[in-house]
Amino acid sequence: MTGGTPARSMARSPFVLIVGVVLTWFIAAFLVWPNVNVLIATFFPDGNFSGRAAEKLLSSQRAMKALGNSFLLAVALSVTVNLVGIFIVLVTHYFRIRGSRILFLGYASTFIYGGIVLAAGYKFIYGDKGIVTSLLVKVFPAMDPGWFSGFFAVLVVMTFATTTNHMLFVANALKGIDYQTVEAAKNLGASTWTILRRIVLPMLKPTLFAVTILSFLTGLGALSAPQVLGGRDFQTITPMILTFTNSPTSRDLAALLAVILGVATILMLAVMSRLEKGGTYFSVSKVSSALQKQDVTNPAANIAVHAVAYLLFAVYTLPVVLIVLYSFADGAAIQTGHLTPGSLTLDNYVRVLTQQSGLRPFVVSVVYSALAAVIAVGGLLFVARLLQKYKNWVANVFEYLLHIPWILPSALLALGLIISYDHPNPLVGGAVLTGTTVILLIAFVTVKIPFTLRMLKASFASVNSSLEEAAAIMGAKTLYVFRRILLPLVLPAAAAIAALNFNSLLDDYDTAIFLAHPLVQPLGLVIKANTDGAEGVQGVANTFVYTVLLMIITGVTMYLVYGRTRRQGSTKKGPGGIPPAAPVAGTAHAGVPTSGEDTAQPAVTVR
Amino acid sequence: MRKLQTLVAAAVAATLLAGCGGGTATPAASGEASSSPAGGSGETLVVYTNSNGEGRGEWWTKKAAEAGFKIEIVGAGGADATNKLIAEKNNPIADVAFGLNNMYFSQVKAEDALEPYEPAWAGEVDKELGDGETYWPLVKQAILLGYNSDKVSKDAAPQDWTDLWAKDEFKARYERVTGLGTATAQLVFAGILSRYRDDAGDLGISDEGWKQVEQYFQNGSPAVAKTDLFARIASGEVDMGQMPSSIIAEREKSFGVNVETVIPSVGVPLAVEQIALVKGTEKKEQAQKFIDWFGSAKVQGEFAKQFNSMPVNKSAESEANPEVVAFFADLKQQDIDWEFVQQNMGAWVEKIELEYMT
Repeated sequence: MTGGTPARSMARSPFVLIVGVVLTWFIAAFLVWPNVNVLIATFFPDGNFSGRAAEKLLSSQRAMKALGNSFLLAVALSVTVNLVGIFIVLVTHYFRIRGSRILFLGYASTFIYGGIVLAAGYKFIYGDKGIVTSLLVKVFPAMDPGWFSGFFAVLVVMTFATTTNHMLFVANALKGIDYQTVEAAKNLGASTWTILRRIVLPMLKPTLFAVTILSFLTGLGALSAPQVLGGRDFQTITPMILTFTNSPTSRDLAALLAVILGVATILMLAVMSRLEKGGTYFSVSKVSSALQKQDVTNPAANIAVHAVAYLLFAVYTLPVVLIVLYSFADGAAIQTGHLTPGSLTLDNYVRVLTQQSGLRPFVVSVVYSALAAVIAVGGLLFVARLLQKYKNWVANVFEYLLHIPWILPSALLALGLIISYDHPNPLVGGAVLTGTTVILLIAFVTVKIPFTLRMLKASFASVNSSLEEAAAIMGAKTLYVFRRILLPLVLPAAAAIAALNFNSLLDDYDTAIFLAHPLVQPLGLVIKANTDGAEGVQGVANTFVYTVLLMIITGVTMYLVYGRTRRQGSTKKGPGGIPPAAPVAGTAHAGVPTSGEDTAQPAVTVR
Repeated sequence: MRKLQTLVAAAVAATLLAGCGGGTATPAASGEASSSPAGGSGETLVVYTNSNGEGRGEWWTKKAAEAGFKIEIVGAGGADATNKLIAEKNNPIADVAFGLNNMYFSQVKAEDALEPYEPAWAGEVDKELGDGETYWPLVKQAILLGYNSDKVSKDAAPQDWTDLWAKDEFKARYERVTGLGTATAQLVFAGILSRYRDDAGDLGISDEGWKQVEQYFQNGSPAVAKTDLFARIASGEVDMGQMPSSIIAEREKSFGVNVETVIPSVGVPLAVEQIALVKGTEKKEQAQKFIDWFGSAKVQGEFAKQFNSMPVNKSAESEANPEVVAFFADLKQQDIDWEFVQQNMGAWVEKIELEYMT
């Protein structure tokens, strides 16, 4: 690795200079300037600093408790998501389990949905009138029907809802493990458990660290699961942030809370980066071979693993089945939980799909999300490469600046863009950006930067540096090396990242509500208009229909991008002997802390 | 391989260019491009509203087109629409805004984002309901306390909000809000707190008033996300809670429950939806014509008929559902000092969220 290159030497490469200039402009114009503006407007309302926000928050029992709950959830999730995530990855990719392909499809259901409907889906099953609860109460009449609520319920639901990263990226890293090391250990008499603990898991560390950061972030930003299942005792801070963001006189409280969560995230990031440093996480053998599935040799353990795997399969798939089923029921049935086969009709779909606006919002959202996903990944390919190659203070500063969108809620980011670009501004060549179609695209790209950067950087880190050195020795130029050696190696990961970005932007409301062009309105606004109405009867039914429609779009995307690259990856004859390891981490749902695992449901609904 | 890469590069470049190209289109330009000569009247009017749900937005777009106005409705929650109007005041995108209540519009007005205009129908409405200058009233909505009348008889029902926490039989039987983001919730608190106005008290409210708020939160059953109050009434979880008058009939039918409402002796708070001209619009003349059309007796009457609402325009009353008109005729309106409420609501919401919600 070319670690510790001094900052001065960076200036000698024209490639670095060009990327540096573009990046500096972008960061200054779209990350720093708008957010500084909005923070100044928030904390210095009349030109004087006001420390009122901290005072108010510290003296509020509720705020402190909710903040504590958010942190508790973040820490707990970091543990539980890893436990469940590693288990399902091993079951589908490492051990020889009967029906592992079907299991994979079940576990992969979290790729395509999340948010309030997912929480509702779990409630249909385990809530006080849920299917499983009703059965249990029949068997154990003394049982409390409200057992599935509070911290425990929220943790369970969010754990199962956020294993997406493990299924995508930990699984990917697992495939890159050199089987020869496993075989060697076997020959030396190591048990299955020892091999797992001493060889397999250590190789997955960088990915696990990165995934842990994202689980932590998801926990901090938890919104819908606590709202649906948290009950009186377990509410988190995000709903409060959203309420205060919407109230001009309390916006400083929202900004302060968001900054606290943002700083915690960045600290977590720093700790994980430190832990990760200094290890060697790729195979150093000259000829590595592909991983083969392992038998669980102990028969009792084998039965136990199969049982748990299929139990988890049921846990993962039941909510999806019920959501699809309930999307055909009327809103009253959904809310009261009384479902009769005769009450299932296509009415909900007819109503949603025959609206005047028709398919237009879907098209608008698909185009915006695709553009933003491609631009973010395309642009950051260069940036991530440079940040990974040059490790000095300049690179560090850039890297942390690029994480700004993780610190503020997206509504504040949007307000910052409006107040910065509603007049001719020299930073963008004297143009006025509000009221144009480009401002929403800018916002979409910026909110996806931190996530994209994290994952791309990790995937560059997994590339064996000797290939690059060999090319350079033979006289290849920087761009040639980038294009012919590095790009093909990170492209599968980049495509998966783009797909996740695309999926998470499809139903965005928080940004679009402030920035969308009135004649080019994306899906999020239409969903909101159709699902709000003080949570009326049609509104709830429409929520389910939109969820199912989005499941279809995101499912197709994941298949097209991830499914196909996976197939290509396994059949393509790449440059020989390169471990295809791509320890990449990411999450479909983690974004800005406060929109966290849920973008479909803005907490503040006003009528 | 090389071919593939060139292709990918070209595709990326093309999308980047497309993105930039899209950016050069100003709203006016793209508005012109996509506007067909509907009814022969020029450009598309951009209309912000929080009242576009449940088919209302589409109804308005269709009716406006019939009258020769091409409009594009941008829907947003009340607080979002308010913040958006304020944030865009230097370079407004909207031409007209409607549906926001007086509390929201007075915030927008305070930020100097509204243009004074007196509509042609100004004489047909009670000026007191708007500000008589920039925003004008359209539709009345009563914010009520409703109870399950199959379960609770009229004599046994609460007489006022304060009974909910003062009398043991109602404790834990009423739904209380879990957030103060909605206009309905804010109006309920405007109604309760206004009774305890005390200039020496915290935020203009006496200690007794804040105690009521504390009791409200301590004794109520917290609302459940994505579960309507009527669904909870139907399942017997709770028996009563806050509800705006316009939704009651439809929800009763959907959930198969019967609800009666409480009229406290001080009266009930009224939310009045308004319409206003946005300051700085480039289509002022057309926007004014649109407002004249929108609030006219004929159009408001049709809307009232379609959506069971209570029009403010006196000449439109004859078109509205007679039951609704009769209900509002008997209704005692609570006397609320809206200026006082508007000045303090932000701080009240903050205090309640921080100190009283549990």
